[in-house]
Amino acid sequence: MGESLEFLRTLMNDPFGFLDIPVRQIITDIVNWIVANFRDFSRTYISPPVRGVMNSVQWALSSIPPGIFLIGIFLLGWWAASWRIAVFSIVSFALIGFMGVWDQMIITLSLVVTAVFFCILFGLPLGILSSRSDRFYAILRPILDIMQTTPPFVYLVPAVMLFSIGNVPGLIATIVFAMPPVIRLTNLGIRQVNSEFIEAAVAFGSSRRQILWKVQFPLALPTIMAGLNQTIMLSLSMVVIAAIIGAGGLGLEVYAGLERLNIGQAFVGGIGIVLLAMVLDRLTQGLGEKAPGVRHKAD
Amino acid sequence: MIRAENVSKIFGSDPESALPLLKQGKSKDEIREETGQTVGVNNASFDIEPGEVFAIMGLSGCGKSTLIRCVNRIIDPTAGSIFFKDPEHGEQDITTLNAEQLRILRKRHMSMVFQHFALFPHRTVLSNASYGLEIQGRSNDERELRGQQVLDMVGLGQWGHAYPSELSGGMQQRVGLARALATEAEVLLMDEPFSALDPLIKVDMQQELKKIQRELQRTVLFITHDLDEAMRIGDHIAIMEEGRIVQIGSPEQILVNPRTDYVAKFVEHADPTGVITAGTIALPFESDAFESSGERDGIRYSHHRDHPQIRYGRDRDGRLRGVTIDDREVPMQQLEQVLDAAEGAEVSRLRDEVAITCSEETVLRRVLRGRLHSTLPVIVTTGDGRARGLIDDPELINGILEKRGHTA
Ligand SMILES: Nc1ncnc2c1ncn2[C@@H]1O[C@H](COP(=O)(O)OP(=O)(O)OP(=O)(O)O)[C@@H](O)[C@H]1O
Ligand SMILES: [Mg+2]
Repeated sequence: MGESLEFLRTLMNDPFGFLDIPVRQIITDIVNWIVANFRDFSRTYISPPVRGVMNSVQWALSSIPPGIFLIGIFLLGWWAASWRIAVFSIVSFALIGFMGVWDQMIITLSLVVTAVFFCILFGLPLGILSSRSDRFYAILRPILDIMQTTPPFVYLVPAVMLFSIGNVPGLIATIVFAMPPVIRLTNLGIRQVNSEFIEAAVAFGSSRRQILWKVQFPLALPTIMAGLNQTIMLSLSMVVIAAIIGAGGLGLEVYAGLERLNIGQAFVGGIGIVLLAMVLDRLTQGLGEKAPGVRHKAD
Repeated sequence: MIRAENVSKIFGSDPESALPLLKQGKSKDEIREETGQTVGVNNASFDIEPGEVFAIMGLSGCGKSTLIRCVNRIIDPTAGSIFFKDPEHGEQDITTLNAEQLRILRKRHMSMVFQHFALFPHRTVLSNASYGLEIQGRSNDERELRGQQVLDMVGLGQWGHAYPSELSGGMQQRVGLARALATEAEVLLMDEPFSALDPLIKVDMQQELKKIQRELQRTVLFITHDLDEAMRIGDHIAIMEEGRIVQIGSPEQILVNPRTDYVAKFVEHADPTGVITAGTIALPFESDAFESSGERDGIRYSHHRDHPQIRYGRDRDGRLRGVTIDDREVPMQQLEQVLDAAEGAEVSRLRDEVAITCSEETVLRRVLRGRLHSTLPVIVTTGDGRARGLIDDPELINGILEKRGHTA
């Protein structure tokens, strides 16, 4: 009688003492196993193309004289959105230059462009596949949830172990974190296309592929552009985190400024990131509204 | 051209389970109660001649859209066959076609017009009109040429570069029509194409369709929930109720002779003046309302009991030879001439004493108009020139109000 009372008391006070799930150890083992087995693979097959794209983009962007760049960004803003956005864009970029972080901005922009490039490269086909197969999407969905909700700090270390220090692990982490919106919104956009348009396409004898490329995809484009916009914003939000593991650019300004308690330096980097984010956001939004599927009487 | 035999479509998890009940003649509600399946189409059969407009009419939810979609297999029928006779392949059962054959059927032989237009919003009007040609794999030049041609045909030649959202509803449906005409498919499926349009534009479009149909002679399956529209456009009309086709006939047959109460209810509010013909309502000279009033010079005269002073003379072949009032000869004139002469003139309250003649096929509306110009009954003649009977006020009123003639 007294024994069982004693048992109940311990159970209530410390119910977790009875079982110890060694998650730490399991994860460490798994990561070690992955690193041991895939390090060579990732360093020979994944790093080079990612680094290659990054370097080409950076080379291309930094070879444009800043003056020409400013004019280009103005024209782009005008074409993609409006003259207001064009003015806003050129002023923002000029400010970045006047603050003395132009070169860092170019690196950050290259990081973002590279990450977005890979997000589209893999995200678009995955999104299209998801829209055509419920089963595929059912499998993919929890993976997307994990990609989006796991705090990036958690996978920084394995990323470094697999890809070593530098831009590449930062890029990989960024791609993982920023890809889900492209997949989700491509899937959503295609599924949302009104069935009457699909029926019309079918009635005229279109094949599944023709329906996809002639009707569904173009009509999903505004939604896909919204996903792209989110992806760009998410990858910009990763640049500071990526700097912790060796990525350069504006993120590094912030990180280094914080480390040295140089608030001014950190803020300059931060303002640069915000300006870059706002310009990219307006430009991609403008592009999304330009898609012919959302054309209205008013314009 | 298209022949449907006992086509049924049942929606639900186990459509086959409802088929035996359909055979027993159970109603849609009974079947839903017993099996949980929804009957879309119930044993529909019809036969559409090449070049005719076949209208299917019925209340909302009676299965019209389901039936028309069975014809191009956007919906697969649960039972039954649909035969399509095309000049190249002879007769084939659409329900047995595989995916590839179906695509060919839709690409080349059948096109469709939709109630809510279903124009592709991201494509220009021209590129919408030529969508079917694109799917057929025609060259750019050909597409542009043919697309422009059909746009001209529907009166939108100037709008090729606009987007659908810049067009009014009526114009959008013209584009829908152009898109369907462009592929030169022999069969045109139209699912309530004008239901979403304003009444005036609707009538416009009906006339436009009739005009185009006179030129192109497509075979048209036309869905509508408006009996007047069905009668204006259809050569034959099928009336649907709860998935069943309850009557098929020419507009006049349906109007004069509704087979069920359901059909009668529709007919009650229909406008008969453009449908019912003089031959149907004419009071025949052979009926016992007429009495002989003697013979002179080989011409036999007769008169209506109520108007002995008006006498109609016919020769041995039954041809009209003269009309007299109180033995005075009255001029005779064909209805067409009377109406042509009166065109644009003001209506006079002083009507002439003219004996107007018209053919059996003349619709009620024209006979009424003729009556504006003469006080005398209208004489109806057959194709071979025989005088068949008279139309006086009682016949006209009966025709309009009761939608009934003397032969009915
Ligand atoms: N995909 C579907 N699944 C289940 N039931 C359906 C489906 N499509 C139609 N039905 C049912 O089939 C019946 C016929 O529908 P249908 O759309 O053919 O009617 P309709 O005559 O075209 O009506 P409307 O004039 O409203 O267009 C209705 O009872 C409808 O609820
Ligand atoms: Mg319908």
